[in-house]
Amino acid sequence: MAEDTFMGVPRNKINWAPTIDYSKCDFCMECDKFCPHDVFERRDSDPKLVVANPHNCVVFCRACAKTCGPDAISFPSKSETIAAIKKMREQEGEQ
Amino acid sequence: MKRAVMPCNGLDKAYGVLARELALRLMETEGMHLICPVLLNNSPVRYDKDLADASLLVVDGCPTRCASKLAQKLGIAVAGKMLVSEQAKTAGVDVGESLRPGPVGMQLVDAMQAELAAQAQAGVDGQPAVDFDPPTRFLTVTYDKFVFKIPAEGYLFNENDCWVRVVGNRARVGVSDFAQQSMTDITYFEPTRIGAVVEQFDEVGSLESGKSMMDVLSPVSGRVTAVNTELVDSPELINEDPYGRGWIAEMELRDFESDKALLLDAASYSRTIEGKAAQAQH
Repeated sequence: MAEDTFMGVPRNKINWAPTIDYSKCDFCMECDKFCPHDVFERRDSDPKLVVANPHNCVVFCRACAKTCGPDAISFPSKSETIAAIKKMREQEGEQ
Repeated sequence: MKRAVMPCNGLDKAYGVLARELALRLMETEGMHLICPVLLNNSPVRYDKDLADASLLVVDGCPTRCASKLAQKLGIAVAGKMLVSEQAKTAGVDVGESLRPGPVGMQLVDAMQAELAAQAQAGVDGQPAVDFDPPTRFLTVTYDKFVFKIPAEGYLFNENDCWVRVVGNRARVGVSDFAQQSMTDITYFEPTRIGAVVEQFDEVGSLESGKSMMDVLSPVSGRVTAVNTELVDSPELINEDPYGRGWIAEMELRDFESDKALLLDAASYSRTIEGKAAQAQH
């Protein structure tokens, strides 16, 4: 199970997880073998790999993309995610 | 010092072919010893002489990183790495899919050779400028048989287990005791480029151990002014002294006031570690 919050913001409100480009993915499963947080899940049917637990992904970690030979993994914009987290923290502070 | 280069030699990928071209270039123009990964894998003893006391550069074509993984499997120390696909991305070039290198590919080989020369020069230029006494007082988090130390003052942390210590408009960054213990024995350190301008949470180096790989995510935004080159030969310093001699990079700060909004003090980071340690156990 992943952490529930990142800098006090509920993890499920933070848009940070890998996206698989299935036109590039060759299902070598290197990303799944690498990730210790069970973000990916293998399936018997197509597609054979999915991002099953996006909220387990460590915010700002992009290490799985580095293991991807065909460069099929992308992440959201980091600066936008930072801005969104700061905004949610400010809103939290106002309440 | 004797230098050797091992490309991944990926015959069936355009990037792999360029890895080979770069290695050939370095052999021809800089006298590096050429290591064939296939022969090395099959008969390591054949390269005993070339690799003894040599500084080895590994050139991988794509992120599958076959050459790096081979070096790790055989326990061969790696002094430098280059990833062709990443260099192509940075340069914004499309080398196509042809397995015979074309002009664009060869230009990339030129650029990679220049980048290696710049890195070697930066290693000389980028002298550390931050000076402070090592921490003496620590908070500790005990979990099971593990004890994690957190400097009680002077350091701030991000939730990605990296620390920053600020002196004037300069800062030094590194990874926490919790991070190094989670990694176990660190066997490889890849420094970032001196002069790189980074945003908060951008990568400023990466670490590898037999168990895992970790990107060092900068707690602050700014410009990289020095990297700890001592770690290239002695990555174990990160395990031995994560808050001192195992520092990762120095930065010139850009907007520390804004960065601070997403940093934790020692007490808050201790609570974060308590949570992480408990989750790692389950």
